[in-house]
Amino acid sequence: MLVEVAKVTEIVPGGIKDAAVNGKKIVLCNFNNAFYALERKCSHRGASFDTGTLDGYILTCPLHFAQFDVRTGEALSGPVPPDAKHPTADLATYPVTVEGESIFISV
Amino acid sequence: MKSESRKQALRYFFQRVVDPLGYKFSPDSELVEFCLEQEVLLERRYGVPFCPCKRITESRSDNMKIVCPCIPFNREHFDAMKRCWCGLFVRKEVTDPDSLMQVPASALKKG
Repeated sequence: MLVEVAKVTEIVPGGIKDAAVNGKKIVLCNFNNAFYALERKCSHRGASFDTGTLDGYILTCPLHFAQFDVRTGEALSGPVPPDAKHPTADLATYPVTVEGESIFISV
Repeated sequence: MKSESRKQALRYFFQRVVDPLGYKFSPDSELVEFCLEQEVLLERRYGVPFCPCKRITESRSDNMKIVCPCIPFNREHFDAMKRCWCGLFVRKEVTDPDSLMQVPASALKKG
């Protein structure tokens, strides 16, 4: 089911916006005017990405700086310092559709 | 986590740092791949992509000076060699990295 989560004008390139759909907490990212939706909770220790940073296609967790590829959800690096007890997994991603000025995601 | 993806991410970050400093990745792609591979391993172990050519010590302040790209901490030396220690980065005008010699820092001070 497609759900409208934001307007295109709400997220500038390099920007992040939080959203919630059907109880799922999501972070929307704008990389080069393409929008990506990922689960908002870091797979390392659960920090929220809405206060993280987006640098190009790389999303950095605000808590321990684990990094993820917003295009795929792939974990690129673990926390700093390394934490073997809490492995960093890939993030769930959600299909994004842009129609007119609206951003929809499929959850 | 895949090494190849992390190497690409390091490339992305490093490019943005070294470009304004007048440097670029070496045209020797095999060397670049090797150095980045080592940095990925170092980052997994220490949490930081240290220079693979320098020894990590117990001095945090010294170690911070060998976090790749370490060009700002060794600018005079690297500018003289037109490359960094590893050869991962070379000055933008360099087209033949094999022609560049490593020069000890002590030799620069004497000269």
